[in-house]
Amino acid sequence: MSKIVVLGAGISGHVAASHLRRKLSKEHEVIVVSPNSNYQWIPSNIWVGIGRMPSKKILFPLAPLYKKKGIDFKQAKAISFHPEGDEKESKPYVVAEYVTGDKQGTQEKVTYDYLINATGPKLNFEATNGLIPGKNKTYSVCTYTHAEHAWNGLNKVIQEMKQGKKAKILIGTGHAKATCQGAAFEYILNVEQELRRHKVRDMAEVTWISNEYKLGDFGMDGMLMSYGSITMKSSEMVEMIFEDRDIKWILGAGVNKIEDGIAHYENLEGETKTILYDFAMLIPSFSGHGFKAFDKNNQDITDRLFKGFMIVDADYTPRPYEEWTVQDWPETYQNPSYKNIFAPGIAFAPPHTISKPRKNKNGTEIFPSPPRTGMPSGITAKLVADNIIDSIKSGKESLKHKGSMGNMGAACIASAGYGLLDGSGISITTFPIIPDYKKYSDTQGRHLGKTFGSIGLAGHWLKLALHYAFIYKAKMKPFWWLIPE
Amino acid sequence: MRRISPIQRFKMMNPIIQLFKFFILSIKVMVIVAGGHGGTRKAN
Repeated sequence: MSKIVVLGAGISGHVAASHLRRKLSKEHEVIVVSPNSNYQWIPSNIWVGIGRMPSKKILFPLAPLYKKKGIDFKQAKAISFHPEGDEKESKPYVVAEYVTGDKQGTQEKVTYDYLINATGPKLNFEATNGLIPGKNKTYSVCTYTHAEHAWNGLNKVIQEMKQGKKAKILIGTGHAKATCQGAAFEYILNVEQELRRHKVRDMAEVTWISNEYKLGDFGMDGMLMSYGSITMKSSEMVEMIFEDRDIKWILGAGVNKIEDGIAHYENLEGETKTILYDFAMLIPSFSGHGFKAFDKNNQDITDRLFKGFMIVDADYTPRPYEEWTVQDWPETYQNPSYKNIFAPGIAFAPPHTISKPRKNKNGTEIFPSPPRTGMPSGITAKLVADNIIDSIKSGKESLKHKGSMGNMGAACIASAGYGLLDGSGISITTFPIIPDYKKYSDTQGRHLGKTFGSIGLAGHWLKLALHYAFIYKAKMKPFWWLIPE
Repeated sequence: MRRISPIQRFKMMNPIIQLFKFFILSIKVMVIVAGGHGGTRKAN
């Protein structure tokens, strides 16, 4: 009998737990430890943030589902890792602290045979002075509650515009090394469309602010893509969209301080600037959770498990951008020191960024961190679960399932406006996610046939279809496993 | 600045054209996303 503990119940943790439970017999225990009571389909948060989708449509409670499926659920947060056990406990364990109910505040040693760390990122709002969701006229769409607040803030500004007041709207990244530009990109286009729907577009100045060097970088070093019958750079496509919608942009901006309606930033030229706004949605930087790890003698071994995020089978040797390769990126997401610990999704420490690092004359680094959201989170979680299942069934370590982001495709179906007949979407696929400049040397590291962009109503329908399909899958309804990650 | 021509906009927003596009797009995305993944170290 094996006991598998999954930390986190986001896309990655939930996918791993679902597949483990489906493929392992009931004699094996699957335990999910998460401080969140609900599962949320994060990609649809942007629609909550424009008031077009209630948050109840993107979430459901985890406890009843896990009870029905035979997954043990502890609503608790992980505190520390003890991969060798301790003097009293011979098995490895994590210390978890309950966050609700009768046990709130009590800590428990949760032992395991296999541990999947799918804790995702910490939303590091503190890294930017004054960036607090719902304060200083800044908002976030990183969680459904943040998105609800964002809609309240946006709606207030829309009502003011209807009364004749002009407004400045600022959307983008709220830190010099923030990631998740895709979500901000979707949000700015949705907000712009909502302004038109409310007939106040001419009252608003909409500005994109980002740490990207070029538009369309998305933390992936941009891409060359097929667009209809032509080949286009992602920067050209985004520029076309922004110009067409009269959206201004500020690039190479490291936002470092927020005051009420004022964003302070430093740019790649080393200048310090400010921009005023009436409503801002700024994505914070992501960081690890600051977990500590200890060996059986209670000595601190945090640096064997964590490098901000969790250390896995990546090549972390520091090298200049020109020497980076796809082989640097992990394949199995296994911790090299403790082979029964894995970190799929956003929880693993990337070997380096994907976008070219840039520093201004003041020494401030301004460039996007690597995105690892959505689809790659699901794929990496499934392959980790499959390797654990194989290892349990064969009785020896099996790592035959591999999935490097350098040999994996991704689809970004970005909503560009909500509406069954007047909505729009920008569908972008990329293969591989990490550009392989050796294999695809003349197409900027990507397979041109598998890297394409498309704009139109169909993209909105596709995003909506994916929303319902993935909620169905997450609820583990009949044949859910047929829907790919 | 009008960067997308009226004919392009018509094609982007016409439900009938976009219905066909939806099916094509779904298949293309499925092929790329579910088309497999693997390691890179041995392959190269």
